[in-house]
Amino acid sequence: MKVLYNWLKEFADVSAPPAELRSRLSMAGVSVDSIDESAAGPVLDAEITINRPDLLGHVGIAREVAALYRLDLKRPQPKINESAEPAMQAARVEIESPELCARYTARIVRGVKVQPSPDWLRQRLEALGQSSINNVVDATNYVMLEVGQPLHAFDFDRLAEHRIVVRRARQGETMRTLDGIERKFSKDMCLICDARGAVAVGGVMGGAESEISFSTKNLLLESAWFDPISIRRTSKALGLRTEASLRFERGADIEMAAFASKRAAELIQQLAGGEVLGGVIDVYPQLHSPQKVELSRKELLRVMGADVPDREIEEILSALGFAPVRSDTNRGSADSLVAAWSCAIPSWRGDVTREIDLIEEVARLYGYDKFPPRLPPAKLPAKRLPHAREEERLRERLVALGYHEIVAIPLVAAERDAIFRPENASPAEIANPLSEDASLMRTSGAVSMAATIEWNLNHGQKNLRLFEIGKMYEVRGEKPVETRILSLGAAGLAREQSIHESSREFSFGDLKGSLDEIFALAGGANWRPASLQWLAPNRAARISLAAAGEGKPIGVCGQLARTVAQKFKFRQDVFLAELQLDPLLEAIAKASATLRYEPLPRFPAVERDFSLVLADGTSFASIEHAIRALSIPELRRIEAVDLFRGGQVPAGKHSLLLRVTFQSDVSTLTDAQLAEFSARIASALSEKLGASLRAS
Amino acid sequence: MPEAIEKTHLRFSQLHCSSDEQQLHYLFHELSELAAHEAEASPTPEVAEKFRVRWLGRQDSVLSRITANWLKEAPPEAKKWVGQQLNWLRPILEDLAANLKKLSEEAALDAAAARDQIDLSLPGVTRTLGTQHLVRQTYEELYRIFASIGFSIVEGPEIETAYYNFEALNIPEHHPARDNMDTFYIANAPGYLLRTHTSPMQARTMEKQQPPVRIVVPGKVYRRDNPDATHSFVFHQLEGLAVDTDITFCDFKGTIEYFAKEFFGPQTRVRLRPSYFPFTEPSAEFDASCHVCGGKGCRTCKHSGWIEMFGAGMVNPAVYGFVKYDAQRYSGFAFGLGVDRLAMLKYGIDDLQQFFRNDVRFLRQFR
Repeated sequence: MKVLYNWLKEFADVSAPPAELRSRLSMAGVSVDSIDESAAGPVLDAEITINRPDLLGHVGIAREVAALYRLDLKRPQPKINESAEPAMQAARVEIESPELCARYTARIVRGVKVQPSPDWLRQRLEALGQSSINNVVDATNYVMLEVGQPLHAFDFDRLAEHRIVVRRARQGETMRTLDGIERKFSKDMCLICDARGAVAVGGVMGGAESEISFSTKNLLLESAWFDPISIRRTSKALGLRTEASLRFERGADIEMAAFASKRAAELIQQLAGGEVLGGVIDVYPQLHSPQKVELSRKELLRVMGADVPDREIEEILSALGFAPVRSDTNRGSADSLVAAWSCAIPSWRGDVTREIDLIEEVARLYGYDKFPPRLPPAKLPAKRLPHAREEERLRERLVALGYHEIVAIPLVAAERDAIFRPENASPAEIANPLSEDASLMRTSGAVSMAATIEWNLNHGQKNLRLFEIGKMYEVRGEKPVETRILSLGAAGLAREQSIHESSREFSFGDLKGSLDEIFALAGGANWRPASLQWLAPNRAARISLAAAGEGKPIGVCGQLARTVAQKFKFRQDVFLAELQLDPLLEAIAKASATLRYEPLPRFPAVERDFSLVLADGTSFASIEHAIRALSIPELRRIEAVDLFRGGQVPAGKHSLLLRVTFQSDVSTLTDAQLAEFSARIASALSEKLGASLRAS
Repeated sequence: MPEAIEKTHLRFSQLHCSSDEQQLHYLFHELSELAAHEAEASPTPEVAEKFRVRWLGRQDSVLSRITANWLKEAPPEAKKWVGQQLNWLRPILEDLAANLKKLSEEAALDAAAARDQIDLSLPGVTRTLGTQHLVRQTYEELYRIFASIGFSIVEGPEIETAYYNFEALNIPEHHPARDNMDTFYIANAPGYLLRTHTSPMQARTMEKQQPPVRIVVPGKVYRRDNPDATHSFVFHQLEGLAVDTDITFCDFKGTIEYFAKEFFGPQTRVRLRPSYFPFTEPSAEFDASCHVCGGKGCRTCKHSGWIEMFGAGMVNPAVYGFVKYDAQRYSGFAFGLGVDRLAMLKYGIDDLQQFFRNDVRFLRQFR
């Protein structure tokens, strides 16, 4: 709402310059964003909160100014010369739907001369962002900006039978509005009609047919009150927001209707001449009954925590129109702890219905800055999220492994989401998406990870190691399900070249190593080959918790399938992993809860290397299994140290250098013992796996 | 060649000191001083070896000559003296030789190290470390601040019901406040929407728990806004709620002032401007003095000296009605921080979209 400083001064004679007024108003709840100069003087751009329709007029703002500076509020006092002929005889008004229109007033003005407005009026309207139309329409707009009540003037001679009927629209009924658009209405909309049909959309916009023109002689001036919810629905459904609808949908002052009508008639008479017929037609079936609300000091103290003196409370409430009267039995004593005031709620303050609303009025005008800050004592320990500690350890490990955390937007394109979607998952679809690229909630973290890798590769960032802790979203049986996930993504070099080291490409081994380090927190992982549409064949795995044995996998990982990589135009290998977070954190919690000290060995460990030639397809796990089956208690570790194919190794076979570590808890191992272990291992590998031992 | 060493080439009888123990004593002393003087030469392996050969060598060294020419040739009565002197001189020479050898070896190592000089301006061997996202880091900072004054952390669903997102917060259908929070609705889960704020956890928490309540709620929120430098249809909030029998507006002020000073620094000043939110009353916009200019006015604060932080206020008693709290007995406050916005302010980031692009050049800046 734009406010003219000079107009404001007509109602509250404030001496403070605009800049000071701006800051005082802002600190009292009427936020003034800027001050601009105009032909009509300084213009304050005030942001009016939606609970305060009474501030959508200069008088309303002036009331706040008067309360702030303790000035008298000078409201306009309209004087009109009414003719002997009563308006009641010239026109008839009926309200058929009082639930949509609780009051309708009409005045008749005859013999007006419609012409352009004088400069002062044009300047004021234009300074406030309204274009000047003609003196009659401008008068109605002026009064709206003055007292906040929207008005509408009809060409009286175009109203069939000089009758106004306020009723619900018939389904599909149409009318052309002032802006020249043919509008179609529905049953819950309120129309202003004459004997023939619609002449205005009540509280929103007039009809083109009965519009005031330069040839208009006689007019009917409408000043009414429309139901806020109905106006809001209508204006939304028609896509038509007007100065009038803005005020009615927030709640206009029902008592203002007749006053505004009189003020507009006065102005029209001044500007366009004419004869104002006697009296106002006022259909007002259910009179507004003012509410009383009590404010007690006890409650003020309970909510605010610090006191406000009697005099301040009374002056503030009086200035705002609440007419406070001491209502406690202790009436005589000033600043009494049991003091209470009975307040009459003015018709323009529909937002005030409870004691708390009065407390807010007192507090904001007294000044929020006058209440001293204080820290409330804590009564309970501050709790972290479940598994916060485990999540922290996981993050620390990921960071140590070189992964950068990303935060992705879960709204994605349907087509992309489908690539990575888990079997049977049905995505949460957005009913009103902003774009195709964000039309549903992702069903995987991989879809965001791939997109993030895409962004970075396209911006010259080729060596990537990323992780995200986020959610995947599904709908199961019309109910949303959110699952927390950890996603990993990597591409490019695992190690960059330097004076100390050579470079190395990120490989599946790097991904597996990272995941093994993560699962080490959770007691280890079991790996199984997997086949997924978005992962390359023979480069994909399902991972389950070692603690769960051959249990349900909690994640998948692998190299992105070529077909998918082509869709993203990736020209380098991309590796992705996705794990369910909650089972992982649970396992981390369990593993750290059961962690116990292991005494350090007292006797030296001894390593023995075995250079094996094995048929391709012999897994490391089967070698480990064969050795462990010998149940050598001194066996500590089995490691694969080197693997190669070609050279002297025959085709279809590979050579593996195996390192086995032995250690005894009770003695130093002898050469004879070690020779025996080696012999048993060599024969077991030869018998079970057909391994041949090479001289090493 | 010094005279004393020349003398070792002579036979004992040629020394003419067979009866003069004192003279022999001087001679040995002179030799030890000569050796000590020689051992001061700059220590190289060659010098050390030359010293050893000259004084202690098996053949034709000072010691070997003394043994052969003096000791063996000395008359029986002088043998004792010569032997004693020789036993005195030998360890001295050995020590000198050993020391010279050690010094020469150290000098050799130093010289080698000097040849193999380390260039301190070359980088060392580094492991690539990752980073936590700035949003995460900001959350951690906020958790720390609020945990220190007794706020527990709780989380809630992002796909919410209209009831918790709006109704239970005193925003009935057709309330104009809904206009300010353009909402995404879920097509295949009727009644569900993407939460527009983290406030739904207010009612969800109070339904389950009696006061005292003191929580902060982190999470993603969604608004149907076209993305630009300051808007995103996803951003991050931290909701705060404190409800008890004795929570007042003063406590509310103290709490957010504490937050602002912890987050932006102790010099930060704060102010509350009256405002309106359906779920708080009295409501306020919370401003902090500009951390860039200290309140003098600059581009960051649009020359006002103040930066708008977030909306907050005392919990509207109407909200208690939805969770069956006695509004006569309990009072409290609530606030909703924009986490991305706080990070933008603190680090001078001018484009909200950077948070969601995850360009590693951005991520790496916040180690």
